[in-house]
Amino acid sequence: MYGAKRQSRPTGLFLVLCAAMLLLAMLSQQSWAAGARGAARSALAPAEQLMTAAASQVGRITSGFGDVSSLRAENARLRAADEALRREVVELNAAAKENAALRQALDFQKASGHHLVAAEVIGVGPDGFSRTVQVDRGTADGVRPGMVVVTGAGLLGRVSEAGPHAAVVQTLADPQSRVNVYLSSSNLQGTLSGGPTALQLELQHTLGVVASTGEWALTSGVGGGYPRGLVVGEVASVTRRDAATSDQAQVAWVNDPSSLSFVLVITDFQPS
Amino acid sequence: MRRIAAAALMAAAALAQVTWAPHFEVGGAFPNLVLLGVVGVTWTRGQRYGMAWACVGGLLLDLTASGPVGPHAIALLVGAYVIGFWTRDLQRPTAVHVVLTAVVGTILYSAVLVLSDGLLGLPVPQPGTAVWLAFTAAAYNALLMPFALDVIRRLQALTRSATEAT
Repeated sequence: MYGAKRQSRPTGLFLVLCAAMLLLAMLSQQSWAAGARGAARSALAPAEQLMTAAASQVGRITSGFGDVSSLRAENARLRAADEALRREVVELNAAAKENAALRQALDFQKASGHHLVAAEVIGVGPDGFSRTVQVDRGTADGVRPGMVVVTGAGLLGRVSEAGPHAAVVQTLADPQSRVNVYLSSSNLQGTLSGGPTALQLELQHTLGVVASTGEWALTSGVGGGYPRGLVVGEVASVTRRDAATSDQAQVAWVNDPSSLSFVLVITDFQPS
Repeated sequence: MRRIAAAALMAAAALAQVTWAPHFEVGGAFPNLVLLGVVGVTWTRGQRYGMAWACVGGLLLDLTASGPVGPHAIALLVGAYVIGFWTRDLQRPTAVHVVLTAVVGTILYSAVLVLSDGLLGLPVPQPGTAVWLAFTAAAYNALLMPFALDVIRRLQALTRSATEAT
């Protein structure tokens, strides 16, 4: 029933193909190949855009039947609205305590002074390991590698590659992502690293100050990688380590890359 | 005709994997439609075809991912190569074998992908996370494999009859 054709053992073909793919991987990794790589990715972008549009159409049709996907979408929408409201509260509190710059983050697009490019999410990374999203804006729209990407809820990540009409964004969930943050109430500073479910936060010990769940993590601006004051997530759990110089915490990220539709690329912030 | 149909199927699978499949994420893993296609082609057409389509599908996936072009192709290639030996040496293949090839294919694909990403200096997840994602994806793909194989066999029958008609 499932039988395949009998044929000679193609170990030679396997080795040749493996060598060819490895060579291609090494060559395409070179900086001089970035343009060709970006152009090839941009060529796929319209097809991805069509598929994404078709997916949203299908979602719209099925929502009429009140099935699981529509309930999930509704849940996600309500959760996003809730997150946005909570972000507003956090930023108001933080602004009162901190400075005028953080207060401006309340209405990011209007008050931050940054120039933003809106982009549509047309795809996500093809496997569970690489936590990236693909957007439909590229170098032709002023998007460059290294630029910071946000959503209405907060920080999403950074542009890792850009072609003429598409770019790949490395999200905070990517294992290599690192963001310096501070906590909204305790003012403790730490470094966030990526993870598939929750973000991991390494908090520096400060005498008499303890992090608590429910606090919000915002970008500290330390290191110059990200602008100060972007909401990253909410502290979900804290593990005290008395013997160590730091505590461990898990942060529930405000963004879910699999349900994003639009993002904003900050085009005038230069990471140092 | 068959090659065009297979190429269209692989392109559709790759595009669906980066646009639709993530909506069905469970435990950080989602269906790998290209891998299912490659395993299905290896079952129905043999190891050489499986490896050829592994390269095509893998390159398409690489073009939608960050970083160099090639790691997904290598990972799928290894999966098709190993599964090819298994499928050709089986005397009486059953549905259980089909499911097991999806499991083995996914674990091999994940292991090679993480390894090649590490060798190329790309970001790799923590070992515990990688194992969790690989096994969750393996379970997911195992559930879908019989249906994927059925679809591939039906499409092959369709293209065969279309070719004979012309």
